[in-house]
Amino acid sequence: MAICQFFLQGRCRFGDRCWNEHPGARGAGGGRQQPQQQLSGNNRRGWNTTSQRYSNVIQPSSFSKSAPWGGSRDQEKPSFGSFDSGASTNRNEGFGLPENPFASLSPEEQKDEKKLLEGIVKDMEVWESSGQWIFSVYSPVKKKPNISGFTDISPEELRLEYHNFLTSNNLQSYVNSVQRLINQWRNRVNELKSLNISTKVALLSDVKDRVNQAAPAFGFGSSQAATFVSPGFPVNNSSNDNAQNFSFKTNSGFATASSGSPAVLGSSPAFGAAASVSSAISTSAPAFGFGKPEITSAASFSFKSPADSSFGSPGFSGLTTSLATGPISAPVAPAFGGGSSVAGSGSPGSHSHTAFSKPSNDTFGNSSISTSFSAPSSIIATDNVLFTPRDKLTVQELEQFQSKKFTLGKIPLKPPPLELLNI
Amino acid sequence: MSLFGTTSGFGTSGTSMFGSTTTDNHNPMKDIEVTSSPDDSIGCLSFSPPTLPGNFLIAGSWANDVRCWEVQDSGQTIPKAQQMHTGPVLDVCWSDDGSKVFTASCDKTAKMWDLSSNQAIQIAQHDAPVKTIHWIKAPNYSCVMTGSWDKTLKFWDTRSSNPMMVLQLPERCYCADVIYPMAVVATAERGLIVYQLENQPSEFRRIESPLKHQHRCVAIFKDKQNKPTGFALGSIEGRVAIHYINPPNPAKDNFTFKCHRSNGTNTSAPQDIYAVNGIAFHPVHGTLATVGSDGRFSFWDKDARTKLKTSEQLDQPISACCFNHNGNIFAYASSYDWSKGHEFYNPQKKNYIFLRNAAEELKPRNKK
Repeated sequence: MAICQFFLQGRCRFGDRCWNEHPGARGAGGGRQQPQQQLSGNNRRGWNTTSQRYSNVIQPSSFSKSAPWGGSRDQEKPSFGSFDSGASTNRNEGFGLPENPFASLSPEEQKDEKKLLEGIVKDMEVWESSGQWIFSVYSPVKKKPNISGFTDISPEELRLEYHNFLTSNNLQSYVNSVQRLINQWRNRVNELKSLNISTKVALLSDVKDRVNQAAPAFGFGSSQAATFVSPGFPVNNSSNDNAQNFSFKTNSGFATASSGSPAVLGSSPAFGAAASVSSAISTSAPAFGFGKPEITSAASFSFKSPADSSFGSPGFSGLTTSLATGPISAPVAPAFGGGSSVAGSGSPGSHSHTAFSKPSNDTFGNSSISTSFSAPSSIIATDNVLFTPRDKLTVQELEQFQSKKFTLGKIPLKPPPLELLNI
Repeated sequence: MSLFGTTSGFGTSGTSMFGSTTTDNHNPMKDIEVTSSPDDSIGCLSFSPPTLPGNFLIAGSWANDVRCWEVQDSGQTIPKAQQMHTGPVLDVCWSDDGSKVFTASCDKTAKMWDLSSNQAIQIAQHDAPVKTIHWIKAPNYSCVMTGSWDKTLKFWDTRSSNPMMVLQLPERCYCADVIYPMAVVATAERGLIVYQLENQPSEFRRIESPLKHQHRCVAIFKDKQNKPTGFALGSIEGRVAIHYINPPNPAKDNFTFKCHRSNGTNTSAPQDIYAVNGIAFHPVHGTLATVGSDGRFSFWDKDARTKLKTSEQLDQPISACCFNHNGNIFAYASSYDWSKGHEFYNPQKKNYIFLRNAAEELKPRNKK
């Protein structure tokens, strides 16, 4: 029997009566839809399915749903299973940390992110092909903040501009400005559709951290004189800049593994070692894929510890291993405190994501990351930020670093001293 | 009483210049056309309140004018009066006793038009075009609420030139609606704020937008006890969100639906998606009407979550709509809403306002 696609999305109208196969035989999704189907002879298109779809994204989904996403995500799967317990139990339990910036992403969240990104791509395609109004902000999931790079201009505002320019006989400049806006929009849409790493990172940070773009003073307006201050796009959003020149602006959450942003690093020392290590390494292997060598060093890298961790603040561990597999995308917030050790269980191989949380897609590999690599030197330069000098550590922290494993509740927040790292 | 300056033909469907006998599509629904319609796009429509005997329709247009017609029960429309602004008129509303009309314009002012004396005086001032205007009648105060692109919401006692109150908005005001004691304002950047108006207007809640794109229009609906209980929000993406303020079960009660799209069932070809230009609730039945840039209007029953009717496609977008006070008349304006930019703007094209009998078509569908 064919597998029912609607069921996989959780919205099969027929439920048990469906002629297709429902893997997992959960008919829960089916029943809901039926009453609506019978109402109104007319088209029921569009009613209500959208809200359900969104709710699926927002709520954590159970693992049985992971089946349909199997496709490209195989390498992550096993780790999902093994990780999850580690990650989720420790997530935000704090260990006394007030905000665990690494809020480790559980596999569910990773899946959500993937869905999010896919949703964005699809929305962009629809937007382009549908002829709808282009000067609008956009958010990938309702109730989330807007994605940067889009300006909101209502048709009335645009029309008023037209009238103003008309009276000043300056229609050409109006036309030019509109054309410019359209181009910006188109660029942004294409960027979102192609989803390379930097945009992903920026997007995810947008969505997660509610980066609000500066209201696009769009400069329409009060002055008649022509020049439109181009709204939106260059209005600086740190995330936009990232897209363009990968400059390490502090974008929380930006920390792409490779080198994270030094700025970020700077501010939160935690990121520390890992970053430098990886960046050093990465210079040689720009394609993020971080081949073998990294792994080994990584393994040793993780702050001594070890084997298992139950270590919650995931964050970093992922960096190291699994790099090869790639789903790294934008790791989350820096501050990873000493933590890095290998979260989740056992074999390095599985580590992959964690830290990296936001796995995003394989496209991740290609990278604009290569451009960033200029940074590494600067990173190393800021040694004192990446590694705490030994004397700055408290006795307890030093002890932790020196021990084989971190103990829960005592994990240092500062990065380890350079001397203690065996690379 | 001044008659309208320009004359406009009655535009009945007829043969086109090339001799073919196809009717032009400006009135496929064969609704009543309002005589002497404005010369430029109609941005807003408003019917008189029940306190005034008869039905009077006010329309503001991009030709800087506001026109008033009397609509008789026979369907005949008689132009009554007109006032001018120095900029396009974006919103109009009536006072609760039907004696005054308030108009908001791109000239950054709002005016109060006394119909009996046919005088209009300025009552409000903003730093940017005034996009919305509503009359608030509370037990202990009455005022005019104006929302503007200068990101403020101002409340005016018509006798004073200083606002009674100024509330900051997060972004430019795009649309608003008021049914005492609730007011909803939707702004740019997907902002959505609900105000409560008892005692004095204050912000009640900021809501995260249930829509993914730019907000375009909003309308408050009432519950069975005639109290405002939620609102419908339309966006440029052919979607309307129904949102209750305090629902028993938000995940289930709040929903969105797609409308004003082409190729509904066929998913292979990309759909054309049109903006929802206006939403209006039937005052008696509680069903709603939406009008869009695709040149269609649709009637919906939000409780049964079904569509009641969709019209034929007009040759121009429908830019505004409203019901009269008892729900017998549905008025909609067919004029260019700039949804495709300046290239599609044809100043020569006629703009229409149509009146349709709405008593029967908007009856709610009985739930099975």
